[in-house]
Amino acid sequence: MTDTAGNATTTSGDEPVTMMEYFMQLEYSDVVSAPVMRFRDALMDARLIAQQCPKCKLVYVPPKGYCPIDTVELDERNEIQLADRGVVTNYTVVTPVQYYGQKETEPFVRASILLDPPGGMLILQDVLDIPVAEVRAGMRVEAVWAPKGERDVDEIGNRSGSALEGSLRGFRPTGEPDMPAEAFSDKVW
Amino acid sequence: MQCVLLGAVTELRATTHTIEFPYTRTLGPVIGSFFTGLRDRRILGIRAGDRVLVPPLEYDPETGDALKPDFVEVGPAGTVTSWSWVTKPTRKHPLDRPFGFALIRLDGADTAMVHAVDAGSIDRMQTGMRVTPRWRDERKGRIDDIECFVPEGGAA
Repeated sequence: MTDTAGNATTTSGDEPVTMMEYFMQLEYSDVVSAPVMRFRDALMDARLIAQQCPKCKLVYVPPKGYCPIDTVELDERNEIQLADRGVVTNYTVVTPVQYYGQKETEPFVRASILLDPPGGMLILQDVLDIPVAEVRAGMRVEAVWAPKGERDVDEIGNRSGSALEGSLRGFRPTGEPDMPAEAFSDKVW
Repeated sequence: MQCVLLGAVTELRATTHTIEFPYTRTLGPVIGSFFTGLRDRRILGIRAGDRVLVPPLEYDPETGDALKPDFVEVGPAGTVTSWSWVTKPTRKHPLDRPFGFALIRLDGADTAMVHAVDAGSIDRMQTGMRVTPRWRDERKGRIDDIECFVPEGGAA
């Protein structure tokens, strides 16, 4: 039995104490950076923005304010509008274990999506409207946005990465022919 | 939250992320005995040569040798050997009012252990002060079965 903090409450009595419950909780609070604030505003309009390094041309989504490879500062002048469709480059089928905090009960997909030119990679995206077993690398997909009144970006901060499900629910197949692996094999990770 | 930056007033927004991990750990024969003792309002040390270590350790810190489970009851009162004062406790601290974190060498022990001291005021804290445990009514076999220590001979 545990109390609300997850601590064991049933060790009183004569039995030797052999186990210990420890509930570790870390809270991070930080100020949302200017590029991520603009990213959030764009999501509310069902748009994806990114920053592109002028030197190496890599596309950072969400925008991070700098290119860590070239140590170049990036700002609004480096911001570009991204496509909200692309291709599944790789994916994982996750069979959920019911550990603490797990909300999923059925196998689900997390996919990496390479967006159409000018590019940008969104990782850990849900793939909707298709059975898990039919998801494949090379599959063409398009964004599924939350309806305008339901979009919520309040939880998106500097550490959110591509966890955008409050506004971007995931991606669904477009029905276009699959792309060959050579078209994206240098972008897989 | 607002920030004045180069004459412009910018609205700043904060987000909070919480990471939680519930752990269940086995205690082993030594810490298990220590925690069982706490549940029964007894503080146990372990003999290491001619010394008594509190809290008890599984290995002699001097030699690295495994220690026999030779427990000895110590305290419950003890002497503060070092301390610092927490002026603004967070909700994760053991007390919700200013308190001291102290190294306390319990009577009969040769080492000191960390615990909270509810002294009421920093003016009452000093190295060498005598303290005694305040036990919780409902004990679970954890270090905070001792809610805190209090100055001997008078509540804070």
